[in-house]
Amino acid sequence: MRTAKFVGLRLAGAVVVLFLVALSTYAVFYLVPADPALQACGRPCTEQNLALAREFMGFGDPWYRQFLDFAGGVVTGRTFGTGPTAITCEAPCFGYSFQQNTDVITLIGERLPVTFSLALGAAVLWLVTGVGAGVLAAVRRGTGWDRAALAASVAGVSAPVYLVGLLGILLFGFTLDVVPVGGYVDFTTSPVDWAWRLVLPWSVLAFSHAAVYTRLTRAQMLDTLNEDYIRTARSKGLTERKVVGKHALRNVLLPVVTVFGVDLGSLLGGAVITERVFGLPGLGALLIDAVGLRDLPLLLGCTLFAAFLIVTANVVVDLCYGVLDPRARLS
Amino acid sequence: MTRRRLAVAVLTSALALSACGANDKPQTNADTAAARGGTLRILSDGQTVNYDPAKSSSLAITSLGLVHRRLTAWHNKPGEQAKVVPDLADTGKTTDGGKTWTFTLQEGLKFSDGTPITSEDVKWGVQRSFAPAFSGGLGYHKQLIEGGDTYRGPFEGAELKGIETPDPRTIKFTLVRPYGDWPWVVSTPAFAPVPKGKGAEADYAEHPVASGPYQLAEYQKGVKARLTRNPNWDQAKDQVRAALPDEIVWQLGQDASVISQRLVADAGDDKAAFGSSFVSAAQLAQLANNTSAKERVVTSKSGALAYLALNTEKAPLNNPKVREAFQYAVDKAAFQIASAGTPALAGDVATTLITEGIAGREKFDLYPAQPSGDPEKAKKLLAEAGFPTGLSGLDFVVSKSNNGPDKAQAIQAGLARAGIQTTIRTLDGDAYTEETSGAAAAKFDLTLASWQPDFPSANANIQPLFQSSEIGGGGYNLSRYRNAEVDALIGEAQATVDPAEAGKKWAALDKKILQDSPVVPLIYTRNSFLRGSKVANLFIADFPAYPNYLQVGLSK
Amino acid sequence: MSVSFSPNTSRSLWSTIRSVLRHDRWALAGAVTIGLLALLAVGADLWTAIEGQDPYTYRTEALDKDTGGPAGVLGGVSADHWFGVEPLTGRDLFAIVAHGARTSFLIGLAATAVSVLVGVVLGAAAGYLGGVLDRVVTWTADVLLGFPYLVFMIALAAVVPPGVPRPLLLIAVIGFFGWPSIARIVRSQTLTLRARGFVSAARSLGAGPVHVFRHELLPNLWGPIIVVATLSVPGKIGLEAALSFLGLGIPPPTPSWGRTISLAIDWVGSDPMFLVFPGAALFLATWAFNVLGDGLRDALDPRTAVRS
Repeated sequence: MRTAKFVGLRLAGAVVVLFLVALSTYAVFYLVPADPALQACGRPCTEQNLALAREFMGFGDPWYRQFLDFAGGVVTGRTFGTGPTAITCEAPCFGYSFQQNTDVITLIGERLPVTFSLALGAAVLWLVTGVGAGVLAAVRRGTGWDRAALAASVAGVSAPVYLVGLLGILLFGFTLDVVPVGGYVDFTTSPVDWAWRLVLPWSVLAFSHAAVYTRLTRAQMLDTLNEDYIRTARSKGLTERKVVGKHALRNVLLPVVTVFGVDLGSLLGGAVITERVFGLPGLGALLIDAVGLRDLPLLLGCTLFAAFLIVTANVVVDLCYGVLDPRARLS
Repeated sequence: MTRRRLAVAVLTSALALSACGANDKPQTNADTAAARGGTLRILSDGQTVNYDPAKSSSLAITSLGLVHRRLTAWHNKPGEQAKVVPDLADTGKTTDGGKTWTFTLQEGLKFSDGTPITSEDVKWGVQRSFAPAFSGGLGYHKQLIEGGDTYRGPFEGAELKGIETPDPRTIKFTLVRPYGDWPWVVSTPAFAPVPKGKGAEADYAEHPVASGPYQLAEYQKGVKARLTRNPNWDQAKDQVRAALPDEIVWQLGQDASVISQRLVADAGDDKAAFGSSFVSAAQLAQLANNTSAKERVVTSKSGALAYLALNTEKAPLNNPKVREAFQYAVDKAAFQIASAGTPALAGDVATTLITEGIAGREKFDLYPAQPSGDPEKAKKLLAEAGFPTGLSGLDFVVSKSNNGPDKAQAIQAGLARAGIQTTIRTLDGDAYTEETSGAAAAKFDLTLASWQPDFPSANANIQPLFQSSEIGGGGYNLSRYRNAEVDALIGEAQATVDPAEAGKKWAALDKKILQDSPVVPLIYTRNSFLRGSKVANLFIADFPAYPNYLQVGLSK
Repeated sequence: MSVSFSPNTSRSLWSTIRSVLRHDRWALAGAVTIGLLALLAVGADLWTAIEGQDPYTYRTEALDKDTGGPAGVLGGVSADHWFGVEPLTGRDLFAIVAHGARTSFLIGLAATAVSVLVGVVLGAAAGYLGGVLDRVVTWTADVLLGFPYLVFMIALAAVVPPGVPRPLLLIAVIGFFGWPSIARIVRSQTLTLRARGFVSAARSLGAGPVHVFRHELLPNLWGPIIVVATLSVPGKIGLEAALSFLGLGIPPPTPSWGRTISLAIDWVGSDPMFLVFPGAALFLATWAFNVLGDGLRDALDPRTAVRS
């Protein structure tokens, strides 16, 4: 009963957050002194063409009206224009990009594989290296290993992703010429090329993100290693490897998973800068294009989708926490 | 406008031609002779390639021309002035001084589906461009054809009054006023045929019925578009398309710097490829030491007029004397370097409004000075105008795209030498368009822009930028220049049917407008493109500054 | 993740900081680096005057005539141009980096001040007063942490009229999105403190919330506030640089590291020094604040200490 209520409240909260994000995005972009219909006006643009374009795209109404149309479209679908030239966008309709002649969901779907490839590959890499380094640092506390792991993690936290990315391109792409620079090859086209082109972006993202995991794991591990049951395990004569691997590590994973969920959610929502640096055609690139072209429906769709991923990640993390640690449900 | 022009450029543009300094060498030589056959690749940073004629603003010699023919076409050869030539039809006849125009289609023309192309199909295509769902393309005809001001397309049953089709090979246009450039206007995309009754769907661009040498066989947005031969196209009935490659494949959504790296590397299929976007100054610097790649850069001889627009409605720039000072204060040499690294790659210093390669152009310089300007003279003029201590706080808006901020800083630093202090305000593409051309009253003092005519007539150089009807509401008269005499002269020149006579009138207007200094002409912007080593006969004529897609081929 | 702190009075706080700097070489290195960069920023005009340059003047004579890139080796490094020059303009790169430090520090520190102010007030109020206020603050913080805020900053940069000075806007926006993490920590500290004797004692003597906050809570919150503030400066400097990198920061020609780094992308192959100098400056600034913050935290929260 209590769990169901907890889950229900959490989900309802998530929907409210998404609604607020959509509303504020709409309001903010409506205030931008730009007229999306100018894009569709043609050259030479006349007042009359402009009015026609505006009317067809549904940009003639006040912003709250447009927002309600949008929200309604999610539930029932939408039709733009009338007669044989009308464009239908079926439910759930998250908008229609007039500039690309496609509904927004399709556009996001097309970019998703790129961002997923980028984020998931990087996540595996940083999880392994970050947690590994953290464990190592904790077990060998105070030694050179510990210092090295911490120094690397400070560097990782400090260096902005675009800076590391550019230096990586400079060093490995141009000077050493060992990895290809930029571009994306679909996994289905060639798995080898796919991975090969993503190696550099993966490593760069991993370097920046792993730092947090190293520190977190190390701190958590040090705490755990001081606990009584670990001492008991040690005194029973278990090998250090077993103590760390079987008993301590399990305890460390909960906070790590928490951070991981949130990180992954926000990364999937658009690795704007990484995609720009490496020229990857993912969701972040789509978003920046949408901003530049003032493609309002697309922009709204991308923002909502990013928020959706972040909120989902948060909910999942919360639910996991609730399940793993019943005390959380009560607070 | 800069951004929009750029977007057009990116989508529609180009191929690379034979050698570096393409302009200095003969355009074809034995080892790069283009042969028939093979698959040509075009690498584009755009996500889409638009083959809907109603929504296209493509030039007559670039991508759209591969699939769609129009009533007329452009004669496009290096070293020769552009002129209008027959395509589907002849170049038109008028018997009443340019108010009604009659075109006769060639015999035996067919669509890719085998059906005959008739005057009804051309009419349908033009009518279709009036539908609200298909706006966005070049619309020079929309205000000119009789009845066009209230027409909303054919899909609700109405017909456009000003077009008659007495027989399947004849089409007659009745205009609201005499218009000498009408044969040029019918070379714009909306005058491509669309089979009568078709094209109601929003995605017509993805399966258009072709009249040109190629048809769209496969289209994946953001990935590729594959053009194959149109079996019903007849080489003998087309004098502007060589149609050499068997297939043309667009690779879409490629990052611009990646395109440049691939073409520099010149490996595998990329040997038969060229990039449709401009090669940037940084990319050009990168390949400066690469002899092979350098030879595969094709740079246009001239190009779009880059200019500094001065808001003539707002003090202190409403004073012509103050504006004249800007003619001398600007550092065009620094602008060249900021644009492309060297004057040779950036393009020549501009002193006229009409661009090179356009019939009737006269070269003159009303404000002679070094390319780097004459700040002392500018200071003197400002003092005479009542500003002995210079000007300050001028609002300088610039679009973020196309290195706008960098170029603006070069202008800013130049003006500062003459005591003119400006504040740069950078805007995203559409916000920029709204602010400079959308708003009825402009807040800015200065803005950077560039303009390339949509068809090769001085009319298309001057009218959109300086007629008072083009102020605000999406028009491109960014200087807000309002001169009743100039308006009247523009009307007169537009009504002149004889090209030589019209040319003279436009050249006189060019001078007359610049005497008022609504803009400072900066440079005729050269565009550079990269091609693979097997791409041949990729040339850029004097106008426009884009390669001719219709003539390119592959060497053996 | 939460960090717990042992309460300190303000006197022992300062002696802790002094002792950190005396014993922790890394923290000292961070503090010294911050000092040097601050000196570079504050005296930017003086240093560039000594060099004989400024960040605005075009020096096209320092460019390679054939490419528009810098003439000479290492991006044009010479006695006249200590860090070389910018491609296509010939502007002095040292002057750009020095004046860029001013931009970065100004925005980074001021935005941190905004975040800390809002975060401490809201966090302490939520923790101390509890109830509806606590819920609202906690929930708002959650929503903000879940916002795709980069998108909003991009939008805002386009919406806000040109009359509003860009530095103020950046400070306000970056500062605003930074308060939730600070509020969270302050709130949990306040909850801990509230449960302790002396706060309840003060309350039972009739002290009002403002009095309790100023005299009982704040002195005990300084430790965590300083650590969190120090550790959040690099993120804010990085965010300013990221926004400038995306073309949304301080408008040109005012130098900014992020904008220069963004320009350097295209030149990485032919003029790497154009990236290296501003990149190194940005890295040093964020690194220095991080190691100093780490050192302080280790001292205040001994569990994570590595250097004994």
